[in-house]
Amino acid sequence: MRAALPALAACLAAVGPARAQPTEEAVQATFLPKFARYAAWPSGRQPAGGTPFQLCVIGRDPFGRLLDAAAAAEQIDGHGVQVRRLPDERGAAACHLAFVQGRQAADTGRLLLALRGQPILTITDARAGPQRGMIHFTNLSGRVRFFINEAEAAQRGLSISSRLLALAAGVTQRR
Amino acid sequence: MRKPRRLSRTWIDAPAAIVAAVIFLLLAGIGVILQSEGAYRDLQQQETRVQAEILAASVTAALDFEDRAAVGEAVSAIRVNRQVRSVGVYNEQGALIAGYGRDGGGPPQAFADRLPAPEHAVASEVPVMSRGERIGTVVLATDPEPFSRRLTRYLVIGLLILMAALVVSVLGIAQGALRRANRELEARADALAEANAELNIQIDERGKAEEQLRQAHKMQALGQLTGGIAHDFNNLLTVIQGSADMLRRPGVSEEKRIRFAEAVVQASSRAAALTGQLLAFARRQPLQPELIDVNLLIRDMTDLLDRTLGERIGVVTELAPAPCTVEADRAQLESALLNIAVNARDAMAEGGQLVIRTARRADPERGEMIALSVSDSGTGMDEDTLARAFEPFFTTKLTGKGTGLGLSQVYGFASQSGGDVRIDSVAGQGTTVTLLLPGRDAAAAGAPAKEAGGLRRGRTGRILLVEDNEEVGQFAEQLLEELGHDVVRVLSGEEALDRALADKFDLVFTDVVMPGMSGLELAARLAEQRPGLPVILTTGYSDEIATSGAGGLPVIPKPYTPEVLSEAIAIALAG
Repeated sequence: MRAALPALAACLAAVGPARAQPTEEAVQATFLPKFARYAAWPSGRQPAGGTPFQLCVIGRDPFGRLLDAAAAAEQIDGHGVQVRRLPDERGAAACHLAFVQGRQAADTGRLLLALRGQPILTITDARAGPQRGMIHFTNLSGRVRFFINEAEAAQRGLSISSRLLALAAGVTQRR
Repeated sequence: MRKPRRLSRTWIDAPAAIVAAVIFLLLAGIGVILQSEGAYRDLQQQETRVQAEILAASVTAALDFEDRAAVGEAVSAIRVNRQVRSVGVYNEQGALIAGYGRDGGGPPQAFADRLPAPEHAVASEVPVMSRGERIGTVVLATDPEPFSRRLTRYLVIGLLILMAALVVSVLGIAQGALRRANRELEARADALAEANAELNIQIDERGKAEEQLRQAHKMQALGQLTGGIAHDFNNLLTVIQGSADMLRRPGVSEEKRIRFAEAVVQASSRAAALTGQLLAFARRQPLQPELIDVNLLIRDMTDLLDRTLGERIGVVTELAPAPCTVEADRAQLESALLNIAVNARDAMAEGGQLVIRTARRADPERGEMIALSVSDSGTGMDEDTLARAFEPFFTTKLTGKGTGLGLSQVYGFASQSGGDVRIDSVAGQGTTVTLLLPGRDAAAAGAPAKEAGGLRRGRTGRILLVEDNEEVGQFAEQLLEELGHDVVRVLSGEEALDRALADKFDLVFTDVVMPGMSGLELAARLAEQRPGLPVILTTGYSDEIATSGAGGLPVIPKPYTPEVLSEAIAIALAG
């Protein structure tokens, strides 16, 4: 309940304006910390007791304070969510989730390539280019939706809850 | 009046128990239904909650990501269940994300506006939790199972209980009826026992009456017997006394003296025959059984019978070809045959035929029997006469013509000899009297060694005479001395034993019935202490001899004649 007031504030900021057509950035910012709820990392990569999940924004940051507010309202089994902003892939090893967006579409692809091999849930936005992370935001009929590449997540040792998969606009399933 | 009241009371008791049992069953049934209803409500509550929980779990992510479409899909899936009245999924702020309500009753737009679940409906509120955080609420209300279906379910229970109640009632009624029947049976048994007791009393009374009647009959028979004896003896005594009186008169001519003496002798012998027959009937006649061929005996008697029966009666014999040997007292057997023949003659006043037959008959119980039957063609007997034929002094003959002892003698003799006598008679068609006697081997039977009459003057010797009766003693002493013997007379067995041991005698002639030592006891003592000393017994009647015999010693029945006595002494001294 401690999270109730900030959450309310976040929602007023995010959902409240959503009624009056909230921006895509606001919706995505609300979604980003929530993905941590529906993903599981390899045992060694789970945050230790009391330490927060690391939500990294690598490259360009389209959210600003919206993301900070949403992350601050998030409580996942006693873990908070900490937002880190990184210019490139360096220092991303500690990240649990990473929103990846280069200045150019090619940059995004390069960054994703650099993060490959690490158990980091990568998230991309369709507006920034065709390069896809494990979760890829898109806009369908004016609604923010996402695709999930479960196969790639599984390759990195990540598992994504079926509940989240059920909400996805499309799922690339592991073979 | 006591029993019917008890009866009706049990009749009331039984239904009370049945009613109690039925009420108990009904209450138990209602209890079962209520309990079942409660359990059903609990189950529905649980089911509703589980359904809400499932919905909550399935919309967690959708709620997290504000995906109304996904929430709507999850809610639509619930619609399949017709029992669900309304569903509402609210977000963390209490705003309705998706909902559904049957019959137009949709969920309120805000969680805070929700109404309490209507009566009978079961509502459940389940928080939607995501990783330990409450992100919304699911409200689900269900209708209970339709009343008709529940009614069907309870109808089954109700029917079962109804049947149980019915069974209990039937059993109870049956038991009541059984009890009633039992009571009636008991009452009847009581009545029967009473009737039985009464019957027993009547039987006892009847038994007593019969006993009295029997006693009266016995007394009547005894009177008849004594009367008969007195009558016959008085006649004989009249002759004897009259003749003796005539003999005492002085100057009686020789011819008259002989006639009177003859009359005395004849009357006496008739009296002796009378007592002999009496004893024979009483089966107390000392018998002297010997082996006799009945065929020979009949042939020897044919002349006698012809003479006795007269010219109008023809005697025919049909004798068995083989000898018919019996062990019996010859005199008694002859007497019996004669008695039967005389009766037959009297039954054929107009004359007729007498048939005497002999035959050997195998009797399963008594072995071989000799049947001696005498048939006449006379008047026969009616049933009354037949029933009383063996009664002593019962006679159909005119007074003075019969003693009524004939068939009695036959009966007594037959019984005492281990045999039987039967009478077959039809009134108007004649009578057959059959004498049955135990058969014996033919050997050693023969004609009696009859000596010519007269006193046998054989060896004489020293005789010890034992007789307690003074008159008889004097007579016997004179008789023995007349026969040429040397006689010592004593009055008792004890005295006789002393004298016999102290002195030397050739023979002991003793009475059987005496006070103190009896003749038989004396004979036994002498056999031990003076073996070889012959003993002759004499008696008018002896219980001892009648029951156990004389132990092989010769017995001379009283009254005896000088001939009989001399014969017996001669044989004893010679042996």
